[in-house]
Amino acid sequence: MPFTRINSKMIEAQIAPGQRVFSQRGAMLAYRGPVTFTPSITGGQGGLMSMIGRRVANEATPLMTVDVPAGPGGPGQTPSGTVMFGHGGHHIHIVDLTGETLYVEADRLLAFEGSLRQGTMFMGSQGGVMGVIRGQATGQGLFTTTLAGKGAVAFMAHGGVIELPIGPRGPVHVDPQAYVAHRGDVRNKLTTALGWREMVGRGSGEAFQLELSGNGMVYVQASEEKL
Amino acid sequence: MSHPPPPSAPPTPPAGPVIHDAWTLPSNDNVNPYAFSVELDGQWFLQKGKMIAFYGQVDFQGIGAGRLDHLIAENFHSPMHAADWVVAQGRGKMLLADRSYDINSYRLDDGNLTIRSGNLLAFEPGLSLKQSIIPGFLTLIGTGTFVAASNGAVHFVEPPIRVDPQALVGWADCPSPCHHYDHAYLRGVLGGVRAMTGIGGASGEEHQYEFVGAGQVLLQSTESVLAERATGAGPEPGT
Repeated sequence: MPFTRINSKMIEAQIAPGQRVFSQRGAMLAYRGPVTFTPSITGGQGGLMSMIGRRVANEATPLMTVDVPAGPGGPGQTPSGTVMFGHGGHHIHIVDLTGETLYVEADRLLAFEGSLRQGTMFMGSQGGVMGVIRGQATGQGLFTTTLAGKGAVAFMAHGGVIELPIGPRGPVHVDPQAYVAHRGDVRNKLTTALGWREMVGRGSGEAFQLELSGNGMVYVQASEEKL
Repeated sequence: MSHPPPPSAPPTPPAGPVIHDAWTLPSNDNVNPYAFSVELDGQWFLQKGKMIAFYGQVDFQGIGAGRLDHLIAENFHSPMHAADWVVAQGRGKMLLADRSYDINSYRLDDGNLTIRSGNLLAFEPGLSLKQSIIPGFLTLIGTGTFVAASNGAVHFVEPPIRVDPQALVGWADCPSPCHHYDHAYLRGVLGGVRAMTGIGGASGEEHQYEFVGAGQVLLQSTESVLAERATGAGPEPGT
């Protein structure tokens, strides 16, 4: 895995010549070696159509490509680079994907390996109208970013991140504002517990919950603050 | 320069809150990652508003306010920052904290260390404070302990390294950094278009401080610089 954790708010990426990492622009803290930072016009992978898709979906976070170009002596002769990432004092969580899909908001992405496939998903495609409402309640909007394949992802959260496994033993309920990301084969729906108390403004403050079931993992932050 | 090991995961917390009094408070050590207890017997310099509590008999004198002229002439050489600093004088235990940022103490033995002025909380006389030639940084020279805050734990690296200016907390024993500008991505046709039109944006990583030579560089785990905040006005004169 190219990402190693330095402390709760800082990671280090080892980049071999010819390898590539995408990261949020301006998130580099320090680097060693012949590393180049190139702003990515398309905002990630997949060419022009993907870029348009991201723009339309409002999932186009400014990204940059971080790579170590192979020198004249070939990849074997170029030293590899080390880059440290961190952003805004947020806690950072590293996830190693081995073929499954990670669903995360684009502005929470700190860095991810170039080997991952980046995509955009319509919230309505998971749960129809309720999916759209869920997107509004969690602050995700109508679309979310997906990363699939093999590789490492580092994303940010306000406060520390806890991982809750989602298994056959029953669904996991998460506060929509504390939800960060999830991965795997997960069905999610927004459950409401609205009653007359909410209507008169004396609700418990926990009227909306995200119910996740299936097989995978959900990442929850120890805060209800958005990034 | 010697520094304490980075605060690892706190030991298993005892049930309930820990109650400290004047005798159980640590002496010149961290109470928790966010508060530091100074064993005061004499004088310490501290930045205004960073003291949160004290036991004992301590009084605080503004710098340039008279009685401590000799001490200040010895140890404080930055008129620009004089208004932000006070001298704590007396005996007792004094707790320092800063907006729940991580606090650490560092010890210099006949050394020098340069630190971002907003990150420095307090230092012992024995160190003397000077302005660095890099704007916004202060240099401490001499022998003694100082206390500094950072957003996230401080990470020590060794040169050669290039550091984002905002992630830099300070550096010790190595020569002052130089500016490094990186416009390598502005090459080629696409780079030309980008340079001419601005389409595609900048990477945000064009400018770094470059460190070479022997020493240590202190990095803050984030790019958000500690913002200066009003620490509250003192009492009106005459009250």
